[in-house]
Amino acid sequence: MGRLSIVAIILSFLSCTKDKIGPQCISCQEEQIQITATLLSDLLIINEGNFGSGSGSISRYNPQTKRVNNNLFLQANGTPIGNIAQSAFQIGTKAYVVINNSNKIEVIDINNFSSLHTITGFNSPRSFLPINQNTAYVTDLYANSIQIVNLNSNSITASIPLSGWTEDLLLHNDSVYVCDMTNDNLLIIDPNNNSLVDSIKVGESPNSIVIDKDSMIWIMCSGGFSSSNPKLIKFNPQTRTIETIFTFPNIAESPGNLKINATGDQLYFINSNIYKTSIYANSINTTPIITSNGNKFYEIGISPITEEIFISDAIDYIQDGIIFRYSSSGNLIHQFKTGVIPGHFLFID
Amino acid sequence: MRHTFLYFLLVNFLLLTLNSFSQKDAINITTFKVVEKKVLPAYKTTRFDSISKHNATNLAELLSNNSTVFIKSYGSGSLATASFRGTGASHTKVQWNGINLNSPMNGQIDFSLFPSFFFDDAEVHHGASGLIDGNGALGGSILMNSKETYAKGISANLNQSIGSFGIYITALRGAYSNKHWFLETKVYNNLSENNFTYINSTKRNKPTETQENAEFKQWGIQQAFYRKFKNSTLGGRIWYFNSDRNLPHTMLVSDNIENQTDKSLRNLIEWKGLSNRFQYRICSGFIKNGLIYENKLANIYSKNKSYLSDNNINTKFYLNNNFILNNDINIKYESAKADGYNENHTRFNSSWLFGLNKKIKRIDMNFFNRLIMVGKEFKPIAPSLGVRYQILKKEVLYIKANAGINYNYPTFNDLFWSPGGNKDLNPEEAQMSEIGFNFIKKLAKTSINTEITGFYSEVKDWIIWQPTEFGYWSPNNLKKVENKGVESTLTISTILSKLTVNNKISYAYTESTNKKTEKNLDNSVNKQLIYVPFHKLNYNLNLNYNKFTLNYNFNYTGQRFTTSDNNWYLPANFISNIHLARQIKLRNKTSAIFTLKVNNLLNQDYQSIAWRAIPGRNYLFSFSFNFN
Repeated sequence: MGRLSIVAIILSFLSCTKDKIGPQCISCQEEQIQITATLLSDLLIINEGNFGSGSGSISRYNPQTKRVNNNLFLQANGTPIGNIAQSAFQIGTKAYVVINNSNKIEVIDINNFSSLHTITGFNSPRSFLPINQNTAYVTDLYANSIQIVNLNSNSITASIPLSGWTEDLLLHNDSVYVCDMTNDNLLIIDPNNNSLVDSIKVGESPNSIVIDKDSMIWIMCSGGFSSSNPKLIKFNPQTRTIETIFTFPNIAESPGNLKINATGDQLYFINSNIYKTSIYANSINTTPIITSNGNKFYEIGISPITEEIFISDAIDYIQDGIIFRYSSSGNLIHQFKTGVIPGHFLFID
Repeated sequence: MRHTFLYFLLVNFLLLTLNSFSQKDAINITTFKVVEKKVLPAYKTTRFDSISKHNATNLAELLSNNSTVFIKSYGSGSLATASFRGTGASHTKVQWNGINLNSPMNGQIDFSLFPSFFFDDAEVHHGASGLIDGNGALGGSILMNSKETYAKGISANLNQSIGSFGIYITALRGAYSNKHWFLETKVYNNLSENNFTYINSTKRNKPTETQENAEFKQWGIQQAFYRKFKNSTLGGRIWYFNSDRNLPHTMLVSDNIENQTDKSLRNLIEWKGLSNRFQYRICSGFIKNGLIYENKLANIYSKNKSYLSDNNINTKFYLNNNFILNNDINIKYESAKADGYNENHTRFNSSWLFGLNKKIKRIDMNFFNRLIMVGKEFKPIAPSLGVRYQILKKEVLYIKANAGINYNYPTFNDLFWSPGGNKDLNPEEAQMSEIGFNFIKKLAKTSINTEITGFYSEVKDWIIWQPTEFGYWSPNNLKKVENKGVESTLTISTILSKLTVNNKISYAYTESTNKKTEKNLDNSVNKQLIYVPFHKLNYNLNLNYNKFTLNYNFNYTGQRFTTSDNNWYLPANFISNIHLARQIKLRNKTSAIFTLKVNNLLNQDYQSIAWRAIPGRNYLFSFSFNFN
């Protein structure tokens, strides 16, 4: 009799065969929506996800309605976007999403989030930047090179051999400026012949780069893991010389995520708190515009339209992160949940 | 190639050993019994029968298929860690013949690196009973034990297995004993291609792909030598184990070339005996672990070495039959050198356990306290109190209850990893308690043994690694975790003339929740910890008829959350395995066993860890030849 009940238990387990394999999301069932077209002024949030877990995702936020849509790639394609969604770049109606640990770039349609192409063959890609209509550069953590991508064939065509970790990059006046994290250099590449033209020593671990309205390049150097004082560097691309070095007083500080407003006259960065500094200031502003209050700020984005400040907080890094939306003067407007480790903002224009 | 050569050398060595001790001793003496560290009756323990041990390839499989311990496995041959009553991987302590094996670097054990061939029996100490095995077991402890037998002459076993996905396992055992000596040699080799196919559900159209970069090689040798005297035994064991494996990538990654080599040399020497009312065991272990991790894509080559010297003096003094005093002194010396440390780190980790066991009529009582000294830190009080009471005079029905405190000290990685290591960490502290019933009934042809235990524990200062504002990860005493649940087992054995039927079912319900947060936005508060299933159930059916054995094993693992806010989860899975064996008596002392094992009988597609591929139905055929 006891055996019969055991058999019954087993049968009941066997009968509940489900077709669900792999991680399932509870909030996704509530969020199931007809994906609407992305609007100008919408904000895409690229959530890295946990290493190995494939929880990378794309969220969308409408600043007018304050509506949030999460897990858009998964909903549109039925598959996860990959492992560690690092960064994204918009070209027209396409977004190029760099998936670091999955060694690929997903080219998605920003209106329905379906995957249009997958560019494969990378090593550990970090940042994507188009240098002309047909070509883009992709920096890399481990490849010791920058990959050259043909945007028509969606494939890697060549690479520029370098040494070490290349991170953030920008294009200005037919030159590409690249942060070289390993060798603490600013690299200058000629996109016409894809060759390294110059490399200039900056501070330790240059992690982000922007250009201001006077065509001056700003580079944030974190100073490594407390191994040197962090530096904010103003670089003149015309003369290829460093014009000013702002040194942070505390070696334990680790500033990063340097951003600039659309006008090109105000710099923003994270150094535990959020700081805002004019490009003409004689010293770095030591009063934060937004204090962390115990939160761990992970990434910032400055709205090109409103100059509102969007800040992400990954909380414990294994749950859905939170985005704080502040006015340009530092007042909290809204906060909302996205995906695991929100690490990149893409303002649609 | 080099391995093959070494392998032949080992076989020769084994044969030589056998020849030199071929003289047989016919005198039969009663085996002198030394009662080992026996867990007191007030605590929950799980012991494994020889069939379960025989059916499991390694310790991970043994625990996963036969106990309530949840094994988090990255796949065959890959890292497997244990979660026990809701606690973390470093909260389960593992011992081999009383020697602690947990790495001083991360406090963990990879359960896939312990083939069950290398131990004779295993035991699980749940909850507060782990305190008897040393500090650090906040969930419990797992013991692998070896046995010595005397006056049995020569015995030899050869086992060859061939399985799906290029599995070749060879195990050889040779032993000799007379009334004074016991010598045993074990040699093991496991080559697995592990190139199974699976459905890659991360890709559109869900293509069938072949698992890449998952092959592994394991080999090892264990030598035992024991000499028995009138009232004592002196002996030791040497165990070398080598594992070389590629680390397969997840379904989301196209190519990744990672490799890990683990080399362990474990030596132990012991002297144990009984004189009058005094029982003792003096044991010294020396362990050397080497780990090399290589990632060609990222150009990482990381070398780690750790040494562990574990020295124990365990004594028991019988004041009378019902009153026993325990004294266990443990002096451990840990040392490690890693690419992630700035220098070589060492530490003394010592403790003294004093205990009393008293039996008054139908009551069994015990109290013990462990005094701990780790580095310069001193904890004088880590006590446990347990009571068992036989409720009915004529029936074997017990009520059991116990409570205790245990501490787990931060590992070398927690303290010294550069960057990130935090020298100011506190030890994790667990307050554990349980209450249960045990009922045993023996009828003419059937016997029943059932146990139900409710447990509650609170772990304070739980160490968690998290990214810092400086860009690197660092550990902190961040969490307070409350674990509560129920463990139950039911065994029914029936003998019907030539047929023996054995049913064993075990089930655990575990609620493991985070109670503390630094910030109010944290959604992990009062949520289940990730990768801790609420439900885990095993069922084993054993049928023995004549020389046939059939084992049916069923495992159910409930849903596990993969994010701390419990928004993402892996669905429950239920896996069946079947095992058929036929024994053939060849001659007087020789026999052969043919075994066919079918794993994942129903060809379930599931994930044990997010996006890690698992093989479908697979087969393992074994032939073993025994002489004794």
